[in-house]
Amino acid sequence: MKKYLTVFHTSWQNEFTYRLNFILWRVRNILRILLTYFLWNGVFLQNNNIIAGFTKPQMLTYVFLVLLVQSIVLSAPSGDSIGGEIGSGELSNYLVKPVGYLRYWFTRDLSSKLLNILFSAGELSILYLLLKPQVILPSNLITILLFILILTLSSLIYFFLEVSTRFVAFWMPEFTWGFTFLTLVFIETLSGMIFPLSLFPPFLLFMVHLTPFPYLIYYPISVFVGTISGISALAVVAAMLFWLVVLYKLSKFIWSRGIRVYASEGR
Amino acid sequence: MPIITVNHLKKHYQVHQKDPGLSGSIKSLFHRKYYDVKAVDGVSFSIEPGELVGFIGPNGAGKTTTLKVLSGLLYPSSGDVSVLGYIPWERKPAFQKQFSLVMGQKNQLWWDLPAMESFLLNKEIYEVADDQFKNTLDELVDLLDVKDLLKVQVRKLSLGQRMKMELIAALIHSPKILFLDEPTIGLDVVMQKKMRDFIKDYNRKFNATILLTSHYMDDVKELCKRTIIIDKGKLLFDGALSEIIKKYADHKLLTIVFSNGVEQKDLEKYGVIKEFESPKVVISVKREEAPKVAAKILEKFPVEDLNIEEPQIEDIIREVFTGKDVA
Repeated sequence: MKKYLTVFHTSWQNEFTYRLNFILWRVRNILRILLTYFLWNGVFLQNNNIIAGFTKPQMLTYVFLVLLVQSIVLSAPSGDSIGGEIGSGELSNYLVKPVGYLRYWFTRDLSSKLLNILFSAGELSILYLLLKPQVILPSNLITILLFILILTLSSLIYFFLEVSTRFVAFWMPEFTWGFTFLTLVFIETLSGMIFPLSLFPPFLLFMVHLTPFPYLIYYPISVFVGTISGISALAVVAAMLFWLVVLYKLSKFIWSRGIRVYASEGR
Repeated sequence: MPIITVNHLKKHYQVHQKDPGLSGSIKSLFHRKYYDVKAVDGVSFSIEPGELVGFIGPNGAGKTTTLKVLSGLLYPSSGDVSVLGYIPWERKPAFQKQFSLVMGQKNQLWWDLPAMESFLLNKEIYEVADDQFKNTLDELVDLLDVKDLLKVQVRKLSLGQRMKMELIAALIHSPKILFLDEPTIGLDVVMQKKMRDFIKDYNRKFNATILLTSHYMDDVKELCKRTIIIDKGKLLFDGALSEIIKKYADHKLLTIVFSNGVEQKDLEKYGVIKEFESPKVVISVKREEAPKVAAKILEKFPVEDLNIEEPQIEDIIREVFTGKDVA
């Protein structure tokens, strides 16, 4: 698969031509983490018990890990490009070549993920040295392996979720942005990006679990900090495998329909 | 054995209509009126290996749609197509490695990187061997004279330079078939000429089969022995450009320079007056009557100069497209 390796490093070079954008994007993420960090720090000053199943160190670790987990799971330039490429007819460039469109974009996502992981690791180290928060790290290797497995599944779930929504552009090229915003809103509120989902009232929590969103941020971090372990962690993996298969099949199905109505517009 | 065969190809689209203005936009949210566009409507032709064929027709005639079906981008509504023995829209890698599609208004190069990066990526995508890549690249860079531009960011290139790079990117895997959609669009006259020379050389050197669309007649006149004319999705003509004159031009043009003034009405009985700029007059007359009319005019009027000419190909084609004078 040498061709995808070349896609990977060409994409990597391309990211560097937008270094200012990239740095500002990182700054935005860091500011958000700082904000939630100070918020939770304040909350736990008043009430030094357990909130929504999280102790103070667990909660602060959660906040910091959002930075890393979203760098891995949600770094996906494919989401910004696929809809536009379908609408503008640029998709044609890929369709005439012996290259898989989704493989191509997943490779580019991986390249972006690697860059974001490197940056977030650096940022986390700096933040840790500056704030010296109480954090906890997994005590055993199994938890770490489980965390890596879940992160991989999360990334794949996010990828197929995102491409399925972007494929709407085959039918409604002018509506792609609407759909992009809609998924973005759901991700920001329902994935656990801002606070652990266990803070939700039971009914809402139940509803959220009918969607794939909690598996993107909330569950990977919960496994890492240990609020979920053992059998429940395995149940999470099973649910994630279910969502992965569903979204994979869905994206394949929409693609196979969409490609038949694709008009290769723009001329 | 033809390398491309197209049989009764049809491609119809549904397009929705929107009334003008905001109220039209709101209305179209609730119910949309659709109408059928017959982009290609029953076209058949076949092409032999090594041919250089020109596709001409006005905007929206169906030229680009045909190329898109041949490249596997579109699924036809009906009809059979075979290119290199493959069905294009199955998009088999073995087929994709043997052709290339270049669209004058589309680019495949990475905008923020030097063109060389795109070439290297295509090398891997098409699985071109190192030494073959090097040879092909050297040859193309030489032919197109772009040695100094390989390391320049694509966004900094001029349109003409970029077009050359697009061609290299499209040819790096030495395709047997080349589909060129408006390769000279937007280029200045000098670049147009260079592009034509390149296409001609490429066809000759590599015996590549080339199908090109253009609405510049010069492209077709200079490059293509064979021309296919389509309009409104239908094939109007398929053959040598010179045949078009025989088939469609039922008249000739008499250009006469008179030595002193003549009245327009005195000449009207001889034919249709196309131009009247005394002392120069251009009259269109029936092909078979041309010599007789010329003799009569010479006899009756003081003539300084007289020419009998075939009409311009451009004019004939324009008349074909507007539906006039089709014999």
